[in-house]
Amino acid sequence: MFVGPRMKRDLVTVTPGATLEEASRLLKVHRIHHLPVVEEGNRLAGIVTDTDLRNATLDGMFGGGDRGDSGRPVTVGEIMTRELVTLSPGDTLDDAMLLLSRQRIGALPVVEGDRLVGVVTKADILSALLTTLDIAGIGVRIEVVLRRDVKEAARLIGVLGDADVEVRSFVLSPHGSDKYAAFIRVATIDVASVRDRLRQKGFAVGELSDFYEAG
Amino acid sequence: MAEYGTPATRGGGEPLPERDIFEGFDLLIAADRLFGADLDSSIIKKSGKGTPFLVRRHPSHHRMFALWRDLFANRVSPQEFLDALAPEVLGFVHADGLLLFGKDRVLYDCRIVRGNDEVGHLTLCFYREREPVFRFLPFPRRPGRRIVYIEGISLSAQSTGYASSLFRHYERLFHGLGFHRFRLKASLSVGKYYWAKEGFDCEDRKQFAVMRENLHALVRRLGLPVEEQEVRRLNHASMVATFRRDLKIPVYRNQEGYYSTARDGSHGEEILFPLGKAFLLCSDPWDGYKVIYTDTPRRTGFVWSEGFLDHESRPGHPESPKRLEALFTAIREEGMRESLIFLEPYLPAMESLHAVHDPAYLEAFREAVARGDRHFAVRDCAISGGSYEAALLAAGGVMAGIDAVLSGRADNVFCAVRPPGHHAGRDSAMGFCFVNNVAAGARYARSAYGVGRIYILDWDVHHGNGTQALFEEDPLTFFCSLHEHPSFCYPGTGRRMEKGKGSGLGATLNVPLAPHAGDRELLEAFERVVVPSIETFRPELILLSAGFDAHRDDPIAELECTEDAYVHMTRRVLELADRHCEGRVVSVLEGGYRTESLVSSAIAHIKTLQGREGSPCSSARE
Repeated sequence: MFVGPRMKRDLVTVTPGATLEEASRLLKVHRIHHLPVVEEGNRLAGIVTDTDLRNATLDGMFGGGDRGDSGRPVTVGEIMTRELVTLSPGDTLDDAMLLLSRQRIGALPVVEGDRLVGVVTKADILSALLTTLDIAGIGVRIEVVLRRDVKEAARLIGVLGDADVEVRSFVLSPHGSDKYAAFIRVATIDVASVRDRLRQKGFAVGELSDFYEAG
Repeated sequence: MAEYGTPATRGGGEPLPERDIFEGFDLLIAADRLFGADLDSSIIKKSGKGTPFLVRRHPSHHRMFALWRDLFANRVSPQEFLDALAPEVLGFVHADGLLLFGKDRVLYDCRIVRGNDEVGHLTLCFYREREPVFRFLPFPRRPGRRIVYIEGISLSAQSTGYASSLFRHYERLFHGLGFHRFRLKASLSVGKYYWAKEGFDCEDRKQFAVMRENLHALVRRLGLPVEEQEVRRLNHASMVATFRRDLKIPVYRNQEGYYSTARDGSHGEEILFPLGKAFLLCSDPWDGYKVIYTDTPRRTGFVWSEGFLDHESRPGHPESPKRLEALFTAIREEGMRESLIFLEPYLPAMESLHAVHDPAYLEAFREAVARGDRHFAVRDCAISGGSYEAALLAAGGVMAGIDAVLSGRADNVFCAVRPPGHHAGRDSAMGFCFVNNVAAGARYARSAYGVGRIYILDWDVHHGNGTQALFEEDPLTFFCSLHEHPSFCYPGTGRRMEKGKGSGLGATLNVPLAPHAGDRELLEAFERVVVPSIETFRPELILLSAGFDAHRDDPIAELECTEDAYVHMTRRVLELADRHCEGRVVSVLEGGYRTESLVSSAIAHIKTLQGREGSPCSSARE
């Protein structure tokens, strides 16, 4: 799960000298929210977002009187964010997820040295998750709570194997202090029989309500 | 939809007082219009003008009254009845119309005249079938269907327009009087074709099978460009009558006006007719019937065949032949066989299936069955040696239902088919489904009958992903599915955001329901979202993918509906169908895996299709 294969390589960029109008038009045409700003040699200089553009425009409208005409920003270089959080292609999607979540930002430029090579956005991460969990494909999720013991997990997989059921994805995650929650996506219409079989083998097969966390 | 009232019924079918009937007898006797016939109707003979019948004195008034009550429920007086039987149509009138009373039947006889010319003769016979209560014992018997037997009608040439109009009038009249069927022997040369064209069919299915075989033999003998499948899919005499109108073949007429497909000494005059018409003109006499009335406000067809049981799954598999066996047993035990119009499915033409599935996919399915595989594509889709034919027959069952509804032989139809179909996609079998029955039916309705806007409502507990995928770009086919939410239920599709694609955007509607939703939640969504979408779409035909696995007793999913929800939705769909498409609804069985709840839900659904009021599980009226 490295960033390289998942990042977007086909990028829309601007130069620091581009006007705000130009940048705004690019965002609109390509239906994107982030524009990396590059200098000669594809050297990453900053990033400008639709929020930056909006703020600059609003400042111009409401705060222009204070600064005078000459103070109003005209080029991308004047409003871009220069202190950037970036990734390299060798970083992992985990890194990307942690950064996006902790920094509360929408997109991360990927650089090799100081050269821009790609962008990873929240949407890319979501589609990676969808693929991993196979949520768009045919299947139903079964939720099982089991003792936090890998032998139990092995037994669970054994039961699924005996049932000859097609498993599309399988996620094991901590549940409370001494349990696992297993999220299994199976592709059979007769999921009721699979659930029954798991219950017969002593597994707690969850109802939706079991997974609501209090508060 | 059929008309329920007629001029001959009075006060909503209130019986007349006894003395009105008695007075009616006296009036007719005084006018020489009522006689007694010998109980053996075969001795009633024509014997020249003036005394057309060999008659006896009429039976006693009390005997006649008992018969009148049995046949007409005293809803019409004798003289009113005679008048109603003799309407003036297209300048034709009945002369010398009279009633003859036999032991268990009443006959009507008249001459047909136009101006001063006698152009024909008509004899009708009214009786009630007696059906053995136990199948193999002659006694006891219970009163069965009321029959109008067309003993004979002769008309000089160029009067068939009159006969059609007269029998259309009769159909309304006898519907109002509660007669169930016309019967006749189609024996006159023109009659053999004419009655089939008018919607009569063979009551004896073996006789029909012979008719179909003979047609096939004729096609082969003449080397006509007709596929065997085209003949095989005929399942009603009226389909034979209109078969391959584009192909004209020669027939030969003799001096009496009888036709033959071969020229010989007497059959010399060559005439060209369309294939189906030519065949019937030359066919053997056949016994025809036509449904007039079904004891229920709507005439509901029921597609059923033992062929659906030939698809067997492995032991413990939820989708087993027992589902249909139980449903059919319940139909019998509820006494619904008499009130349903049974329709035979047929093996559809492959081209009509290719409108839905890739030929290579169907071929792979056929090969898997032929090889003796235990399942096809996925383990859910268990197969046996009869699976391929059964799956094709199920699609042909929906087509037969569409034939019946669009030709007016039934107001609506329930197709008790299996294997189910709504998960099957263009080239994918899954979720117990192989051939998408409802989709094949929709495409057939469009190609064979030119139906434009078709609304498919799928209330199986699972999303109808196969049907959705087949129609999501088609703005003329609206697909709406009510199902348990895909995050909790197979197949994991059918989210609210799926609304169609391309020009079909907006013609797909998904209504997912949370686990454990019951009648209240289901019907709230149905009224709030589904009903307005039908109103806006104004369909010309409504198809139902009617699975009954959202029932609370069904183990396969977690919705908790009851029979009441199915009754409510059925009733509302019929109301909408009445408003937009003359009540045309074809309902196709999908899922439902607990036998008891499948049967009680399907019976409640079918009774509602028949227009019956009241609690869904009450027994049949009358």
